[in-house]
Amino acid sequence: MVRRMLRSRSLKRSQKKVPGGRTVTHFRREKPSIAKCAKCGKDLKGVPRLRVSDLRKLPKTKKRPERPYGGNLCSKCMREVFREKVRK
Amino acid sequence: MATLTIGRIAMKIAGREAGRYCVVLSNPKDNFVQVTGPKVLTGIKRRRCNVEHLEPTEHQIKLSEGATDKIVIDTLDKEGILKKLGLKKPSPEIVKGPTGKKDKKPEKTKKETPKEEKKESPKTEKKPAKKVEKKVTKPEKKSAKK
Repeated sequence: MVRRMLRSRSLKRSQKKVPGGRTVTHFRREKPSIAKCAKCGKDLKGVPRLRVSDLRKLPKTKKRPERPYGGNLCSKCMREVFREKVRK
Repeated sequence: MATLTIGRIAMKIAGREAGRYCVVLSNPKDNFVQVTGPKVLTGIKRRRCNVEHLEPTEHQIKLSEGATDKIVIDTLDKEGILKKLGLKKPSPEIVKGPTGKKDKKPEKTKKETPKEEKKESPKTEKKPAKKVEKKVTKPEKKSAKK
């Protein structure tokens, strides 16, 4: 009988063969979805795909690009935002 | 549309300095211009910048090519552009910092410091003498214990 915690179907399972010849099920949590640009919906680069508990172990500079709107807008959309700001 | 010429005020669009105003200091050459915030004012350091990473504004000031940061800030203040852009004029003490005048002074102080080190050297000679005295005192304590 597995541990009660591991009976949840929200856990991902994988069958592994151990050195003793048995097959064992390994359990792991699902990864969160890829971060998207808030304006165009494009996949963002430089934003790690980790759970919050793992994100906390990273320094701030490794969690998002270091520019204004980094981790929220893609670079193209950010440029448009500032262009519009100047042209007004 | 406004063009990027000397004295044109532009906004940086790309990179970590995006969204900040800067002043163009040279005419475009191979798609690049020289640009400065100045750094004390907006945080953009004096640097080469791609024309595609700049968005020119309608504001322009009269400048000579490669003007110093102090002159740039003074002309910005005179022509009333600091108020239009909502920027604060930094205090003159901070503005003086990056200019060449202050760089010469630290060299003189550096020359003075080695002289002080030489004065300290006789002190180091005295220290071993003190240690000898301590060694003399220690055996006396041991003898007392016995």
